[in-house]
Amino acid sequence: MDAKTFGNEKSMRFNPIKDKAAEIIEWFLSNIEGNVSDDVLFKVNLAVEEAVQNVVDYAYENGLGFLEASVKFTDQGVLVIKIIDGGVKFNPLDASDPDITLSATDRAIGGLGIFLCKKLMDKVSYSYENGCNILVMEKTIK
Amino acid sequence: MDVTIKTEGNKHFVTLNGRLDTTNIQQFTEDIAPLMSGEIANIEIDCSGMSYTSSQGLRSFLTLQKSAESRGGSVVMTKMQPNVKQVFDITGFSNIFKII
Repeated sequence: MDAKTFGNEKSMRFNPIKDKAAEIIEWFLSNIEGNVSDDVLFKVNLAVEEAVQNVVDYAYENGLGFLEASVKFTDQGVLVIKIIDGGVKFNPLDASDPDITLSATDRAIGGLGIFLCKKLMDKVSYSYENGCNILVMEKTIK
Repeated sequence: MDVTIKTEGNKHFVTLNGRLDTTNIQQFTEDIAPLMSGEIANIEIDCSGMSYTSSQGLRSFLTLQKSAESRGGSVVMTKMQPNVKQVFDITGFSNIFKII
């Protein structure tokens, strides 16, 4: 792991990330707790867990690769979470939203993670730059 | 996540306590495995102690509901905390389970 701080932005590089989802989520929470309400923390916790779990499970074959995590609070009161990986090119926002009106019988198992990110955060964006997937999630905290 | 299961008559009563997340989803899946088969398919889950669930938890609940319904029963969830209820509302899971 390699920790850096620029201004109020904190970042950490995890490598490899196999079986490290809990550790990465904990890093995010330790840098967010105390700065947001319990309600916001619950939502951000869930969005972070879903986004991190996706990268840990699917970005790399065997989880042998990096995840760069960063947290920033802007002067406008926005929490900005960034998750970067160098795995297979994948835009999670391309997936269509699940049909939430279906019965249990007709509902597919899974497909809820990124949907929850989009619903719980104010803004979720994706870009692919220099061979890296970059997911940015924002939440107004005041 | 602590899971206790009691069976009375034709119903399983389940009590959940704690967070359901990436650290314990595997254990949780094993804990509720006995509910996925057998003649008793009516399941009531006391959620008052469940403070968090990720989509992995939702997946387990949906699998349980599918299993119960296929055996002629259903899963009822009680005393859900507001934050967790919101997750069920957002994902449409409030329509899949009877929540009281």
